[in-house]
Amino acid sequence: MCATCGCSGEDHAASASSTEGRERTTHPTTHRHERGHDHTEHPRPGAPRVPFDRQRSTIAIERDVLAHNDELARENRRWFVGRKIFALNLLSSPGAGKTTLLERMIRERTGGHAIAVIEGDQATDRDAQRIRGAGAKAVQVNTGAGCHLDAAMVARAAKALDPPADTLLAIENVGNLVCPALFDLGEHAKLVVASVAEGEDKPLKYPHAFRAAEAVLLNKTDLLPHVRYDVDRFVAHVREVNPHADVLLVSATLGDGFVALDRWLRARIVRLGGSA
Amino acid sequence: MHEMSIVAGILDAVTQRSGGRRIVRVVVEIGRMTAVLPDALRFGFEVASQGTDAEGATLDIVTLLGNELRVREMEVV
Repeated sequence: MCATCGCSGEDHAASASSTEGRERTTHPTTHRHERGHDHTEHPRPGAPRVPFDRQRSTIAIERDVLAHNDELARENRRWFVGRKIFALNLLSSPGAGKTTLLERMIRERTGGHAIAVIEGDQATDRDAQRIRGAGAKAVQVNTGAGCHLDAAMVARAAKALDPPADTLLAIENVGNLVCPALFDLGEHAKLVVASVAEGEDKPLKYPHAFRAAEAVLLNKTDLLPHVRYDVDRFVAHVREVNPHADVLLVSATLGDGFVALDRWLRARIVRLGGSA
Repeated sequence: MHEMSIVAGILDAVTQRSGGRRIVRVVVEIGRMTAVLPDALRFGFEVASQGTDAEGATLDIVTLLGNELRVREMEVV
C-alpha cells in the first residue's frame, strides 16, 4: 500500500510497506495507480495527509457463514410444505445400508406414502438405478469432489424430480457421517443409519450427525448372530450424545423392524400435518 | 472436504462488502460443536482466496463453545 496516498497500487507497494506507519521522506512524483486513477504528483509535504483510518479500516460483518445455504434450505422447506411433501435426510457412513433400506421402504410402502428419492453420491448413478428398479422416481446428484449435499443441489434435484403431493421424499446424503450434519437441506427430519457391522461407538466418534438425528436406525440386525456387537452399548452411546433420538432396530435385507419404522414415519408425518 | 464450502461462504461474505479494496485480515468465529478443522479452513482459504479481493489475507479464527460459524469482521486497505 502506498503510505502517502493510501492507495493499493502495486507499483510502489513494496517500498511503501517497509515504511508503513511513519512519515515517508521520498515518494515518486509521477506514477500510475492500479485502481483506475493517475496522479502526476502527490500533495507536497505539509499538505493535509490522508488519515490513517482511511488506509486500514475494520468492517464489521457479523454474518453466518452458512447463511446462504440456510436461506436456500428454508426456501426448500417452504416448497416441501406447500406441496405436502415430507422430506427425510438420510445420513450414514458408506455401506450402512441406506439404499437397501429405501428399496424395501419403496416396495413395502413404509410410512404409508409414495416415496421419491434424491440420491447423493460422489460418482455414478448406480443408486438411482437401484431405486428406480424398486419402483420409485429418483434423481441422482453427483457431488464430484464434494462430501455432502447442500440446499442448492437439493433444490435443483427436487424440481427435476417434481414429486406429487403427499410424497415421502427421501434424500440419501453422501455416505459420510461428518459434514452432511452441518448442511440443512430443508428436510423435516434427519435420520441416521448405523449398522451392526460397524463399531458400537460410532455415536461417540461422530457426535454431530447423531446429535442432529430425530431417529437412529440400527441396520443389519440379521447379522447379529455372526458379529460381536453389543446393541445395548450402542443405544447407550446414542443416548449419551442425543437423549431425544428414537432408536429403531431394523434389517433392510429381511424386513425385521419395518412395522416399527412404518409406525414411526406415520406418526412423524401426522405431527407435520399430513395424513397417515 | 466440507471446509471448502465453509471457505466459499466466508469469501462470499467478505468480498460482497470489500468494494474492490484489498482485504488483509478476516476474523471468523468457529464453535467447537461444528465439525470444522481450523487448519483445513486456513488451507482452503489460502487456495480459494486467490484472485479475489481477499488474496493474501490473514484468517484469524476465534474458537467458541457452541455451534457458531460466523464471519465477525475484516480489515481492508
